This record gives sequence, C-alpha cells and structure tokens, in this order.
Amino acid sequence: MQAHIDLNRCSGHARCAAADEEVFQLDDVGYALRAEFDVPSGAEQAARLAAASCPERAITLTD
Amino acid sequence: MQQQAVEQCPVHTYSPHEPRPLGEWNAFFDRLREEAPVVRNTFAGGYFVLTRYEDILAAYQDPDTYSSEAVTVMDPDPAHRWIPHMLGGEEHRQWRRNLGPAFSPRAVSGLDDRVRQRAGELIDSFADRGSCDVMTDFAFRFPTSIFLELMGLPSGELERFMDWEADILHSRGPDPATIARQRTAALTAVGDYVSSVIRERRADPGEDLVSQALQFRFEGRTATDEELRSYCVFMFMAGLDTVAAQLGYILHHLATHPEDRRRIVDEPELLPVAVEEFLRAYSFVIPARKVKRDVEVAGCPIPAGSMVQLPLAMATRDAAAFEDAGQVRIDRTPNNHIAFGAGPHRCLGAHLARHELQIALTEWHRRIPEYRLAEGAVTRETGRSSGPDTVPVVWDRQ
Ligand code: HEM
Ligand code: SF4
Repeated sequence: MQAHIDLNRCSGHARCAAADEEVFQLDDVGYALRAEFDVPSGAEQAARLAAASCPERAITLTD
Repeated sequence: MQQQAVEQCPVHTYSPHEPRPLGEWNAFFDRLREEAPVVRNTFAGGYFVLTRYEDILAAYQDPDTYSSEAVTVMDPDPAHRWIPHMLGGEEHRQWRRNLGPAFSPRAVSGLDDRVRQRAGELIDSFADRGSCDVMTDFAFRFPTSIFLELMGLPSGELERFMDWEADILHSRGPDPATIARQRTAALTAVGDYVSSVIRERRADPGEDLVSQALQFRFEGRTATDEELRSYCVFMFMAGLDTVAAQLGYILHHLATHPEDRRRIVDEPELLPVAVEEFLRAYSFVIPARKVKRDVEVAGCPIPAGSMVQLPLAMATRDAAAFEDAGQVRIDRTPNNHIAFGAGPHRCLGAHLARHELQIALTEWHRRIPEYRLAEGAVTRETGRSSGPDTVPVVWDRQ
C-alpha cells in the first residue's frame, strides 16, 4: 500500500500522526513530513484510519 | 433571475446576540441547513451563511477568495489586523511557520505536567464543596492560568486577566454603548500590559512565548513591537474563552448524560476519542470571511465584498458528512471534524487545546467522578461563539 499526501492541502491537524506516528511523520512545525511513501505491512489499518481522519482530506491510499 | 436567486437563498432576520437555552441555536442552525445551502441574515449590515460541510470546507481551503482580512460580520472594514489571524498569503505563511514549532503536538506534550498541575490545583479548590459553577469556578480560570504560564507571567495576575476577559468577551453592562466602551477599554489595557511585557523581554529574555517571538524571522527582519502586541492580544482572545466554552459544553453534556460519564470514568483510554466527538458535536466557533470576488455557492450568487459566515457546527452536524450527526457517540471513529477550522488558518492552538481538554477532564473525573446538573438550572448560549453562560453542577461529598 502507498500513501500520498497533498502537502499543499495539509494544514497540520496531525490526526494522521494520532493514528500512527511512525508511519505518518510530522515535521517540526507539526505538518505532514512526507508526500509519498510505502505503508509498511501490518500498518494498513492504521493508514486507512489516518486517511479517514484527515480533516483536509489530504491523504489518498493506493494498493 | 432575481426571483430565482431569492428562492435559492432564503432570507432570515435573527439576532445572533439573543441568549437561548443550550441546544436551541444548534437546532435552529440544523433547520437552516435543511432549508438551503446558503441563507442570508439581514441582521446588522447583512451577511450570508453557508450551511453545508462540503461548501464550508471548500471555503476554508480557498483563502484567496474567502479572505480573513475581515473576520466578524459586524465589521467588514476593520481598523485592526489581528496577527496571525487576519493576515493572508505569504505573510501569514511566514508567521505560521515561525509559530508552528511552539504549538506542534510534540512541543505541547512537553507542557502536560504543568497543565496537569494547574488543573489539579483548581479542582482541589472546590472539590470538597459539593457544588460549583463549571464556568466561573473552573472553565475560565483553567486556560487563563495556562496562558499566564506560557507567557511567563506570575499566577498572581489571574484575577486581573479574568476581569479583562469578562469585559472583552462577555459584554458586561446595561446597554450596547457601555458594553462597547468597556470592551475597547479592556482591549487597550491588555494591549498596554502586553507592550510592557514585550519591553521587559527584549531587555531580559526567558523561555516564554513572548521571548520566543522576539526571535521570529521574516525574510531577514524580526517582528516589530506593534506586530508582537497584536499577536499577544490575539492569543488572549483566541486561546482562553474557546477552551472555557468547550469545557463548559463537555461537562454540561456529561452532567446530563450519566451513561457517557460512567463510560469515561470506567474507560479512561477512550477519553481522547471522546474529546474529538465533543469537539465535533459541540462546535461552537462561528468564523467569517470577506468574499474577494463574485462567487456562486450551490446556485446562490454572493457578490464580492460580502461577509460570509462559515459556522463550524453547520459543517460538523451535517448529516451528509457524519452519520447520526446530531447524536453524540463518544466512541466515533474515524472522526475528521473541522471544529478547529480548516485550511491555512486552522487553529494554531488546536493541539494545546486538545491536551488542555483531555487533562482537565482526566483530573476532574479523578476527583469528582459522579455529578449532575443542579436542579432547575437553565443554561443559555448565544448564536455567536459564546459558549454556555453557566453550568451549575452538584455532587455528593466523599
Ligand atoms: C477548544 C478550544 C479551541 C477551539 C474550538 C478553537 C477554534 C479555532 C478555530 C475554529 C479557528 C479558525 C478560525 C478561522 O478560520 O477563522 C481558530 C484559530 C486560531 N486559534 Fe483556536 N481554538 C481553540 C483554542 C485555541 C488555543 C488554546 C489557542 C492558543 C493558545 C488558539 C489560538 C488560535 C489562533 C492563533 C488562531 C488563528 C490562526 C490563524 O488564523 O492562522 N486557539 N481557533
Ligand atoms: S491529518 Fe491531514 S492535515 Fe493533518 S497533518 Fe495529517 S495530512 Fe496534514
């Protein structure tokens, strides 16, 4: 599974990091750090929760 | 065409200042949403109100069209510019980048012990009394004492700040002229106080937010005293009453819903999820924007220069976005509410507010696990981000 984060939409709600702070890392201002990365196996459920929790709808997941 | 526009945008006349029993304003907003995606209120200079989650989120995410250069519908051409709130574009981005590190989730976690201590002290001061007014005994004092701490000010200043807050935000006084005069006087007093703190910190910096702000960089320059004053006064307006109001709604809910209260006491690990649901179900902030070009929202034309309200409760209680939107389900997951706004002006203090709420509720229920609304209590709120006026609760002394 791949995660894509639209960094222009991200406004630092940090709900993704609340779902899994290892996978959804934040920068020092508290915004999403990485625009594109592989979701480690085992973390798919947390990634779905993160995407569904993002108030800006900035996160998309692809298989 | 004119006829159609009128049909698509119903016109109402209501005063948002009117106090109504808690819950009635949300019920009214729910009815407006069912009626149309955009309504117009002729009150004051007249303004539009968006009622649906999708349109409200889109407006927050488009700050070039929906500008925060004016943020209250009563004041479309403001004389002041609160920092960072009323800034736009690159200037706003730079302020937020400078401010971000102190308000990031990680930085906020570092304050937990001090926040916990303040909450504990305040609750201890009335826990054995068997009754209190949540608002005056706890909800207002708690965030204000944290604010003093963050600004590096002595806790002995609490009473003075409580007085200013009451004058600025709670419109005390017999008539509108007196209220306006008191408000202006108190705002000036806060500003002057803050200016003297800024002078002191320039001479003798510490670890506090004011000292940190002295180091902010904007393309090579630092912030002026005037900018710093605007920032500090805005923090005062944005960070105190909001937490107090939210805490009031939550404790009112728990005092009137014993099953939810019991669950939070029995399953403390549920609290962070429950707090998100309380934020969603009791979103009380009603921000506004000035529209910079002619737009059409769901068929309703809104001309450039109009003021538009984007009430967060309209979005977070929209059944098209949230299942059982009118119900509080304290284990709701996922929950992508926008109680802290959205887009670039998303609440700077959101993470601090979350920690303050979680810690306050944990410490409260540790000391006062069972409580109820005082008999005959009537709690009122206005339709303008006010929060509950009073939440009297009683409990059996241990
Ligand atoms: C439960 C408590 C709180 C709620 C519900 C809340 C809500 C909001 C909302 C909805 C906005 C966006 C307004 C808009 O877009 O027009 C906002 C902005 C802001 N809030 Fe909060 N807030 C809370 C607590 C705090 C705290 C504790 C602080 C500071 C310590 C704070 C500081 C700010 C600032 C500085 C802004 C302006 C951000 C900008 O325009 O860039 N807030 N808040
Ligand atoms: S939840 Fe969304 S907006 Fe918030 S930090 Fe994560 S990606 Fe950004």
